[in-house]
Amino acid sequence: MFKKFTSEEVSGQNQVKASVQRRIRQSIADEYPGLELVMDDLLPKKSPLIVAKCQNHLNLVVVNNVPLFFNIRDGPYMPTLRLLHQYPTIMKKLQVDRGAIKYVLAGANIMCPGLTSPGGILDEEVGAETPVAIMAEGKEHALAIGFTKMSAKDIKAINKGIGVDNMHYLNDGLWKMQRLD
Amino acid sequence: MAEKPQPVRVLYCGVCGLPAEYCEFGPDFEKCKPWLIQNAPQLYPDLIQESNSNAADRVSDQLQSSSITDVTGPSGSSVPKQEPVKRLPGGKIKKKDKQEVIIEKVTRNKRKSITTIKGLELFGVKLSEASKKLGKKFATGASVVKGPTEKDQIDVQGDIAYDIVEFITDTWHDVPESAIYFIEDGKKVPAV
Repeated sequence: MFKKFTSEEVSGQNQVKASVQRRIRQSIADEYPGLELVMDDLLPKKSPLIVAKCQNHLNLVVVNNVPLFFNIRDGPYMPTLRLLHQYPTIMKKLQVDRGAIKYVLAGANIMCPGLTSPGGILDEEVGAETPVAIMAEGKEHALAIGFTKMSAKDIKAINKGIGVDNMHYLNDGLWKMQRLD
Repeated sequence: MAEKPQPVRVLYCGVCGLPAEYCEFGPDFEKCKPWLIQNAPQLYPDLIQESNSNAADRVSDQLQSSSITDVTGPSGSSVPKQEPVKRLPGGKIKKKDKQEVIIEKVTRNKRKSITTIKGLELFGVKLSEASKKLGKKFATGASVVKGPTEKDQIDVQGDIAYDIVEFITDTWHDVPESAIYFIEDGKKVPAV
């Protein structure tokens, strides 16, 4: 999704009003309970929270010029990989095998066999349509953020086709956009 | 209150910007290697051996071939510096911004229009001065508009697209006529 993302695609960014800020903060806190304690550090109440609107109904939550979260339409907020690397425990994790890394880093969606093979790890509790962190066999850090198309049980049972949509991966446009001015 | 989870410090490669462990899948593993050997030897034990065994070869290699000089730094000082190329996310290479002025007419309200001029700053023209001159010449409002992310542009009220080419080339001699383009129906058309 962010394969060719540049700052030119930001069609407008504005500081949102307090009530919207509260709503964003609330939904992020609901989505990622693990972030509760650092919430004040991440999204300080005092500093302005900016929402950058981009093409394809994409919103970026930007604090101090650093993109922290993104969402599509009214979908769930997802952290950027740089943020996830700092707080790796906040998301549910799926692991792909080593052979898949290359393709995922090129922006491919995650196919079921890559998750069910010996190198992959499936968290049984993951339902359909939830944001997940994509880890890789033998690696410490996440390499992508995905949005599951089917539940973990289905992935195991069907074992064919796209299991997780690749939203954001290492070295894509959003990854390279460390600061948004 | 429970203790705050400390943010994890991830080691990012100084060359490609990926976490060091993903360098091997990155855009250019070869270029990352020297950095990795220095900064993250534990991640790629194979690399060290490799580098030790043919360290001598490598040094002589680097001196000879100019293709890897930008990695080695000082040894390549005699070679003319390459233009910094910006890599787009698609792996394509984007050249430096071309020096060109782009003129676009935007219809605002049926008969009323705005002419926007982009890219003058690439020729070393001060935009605020330029907008003043334009406003004076055409007796209309002209202003520098700051896009949030895009570069600044000048908006001039009214349709002045055709007179403006002459004006630009006359006022700023650095700007060649061939570098001026119109945008018509979403296509770029040279002004001459």
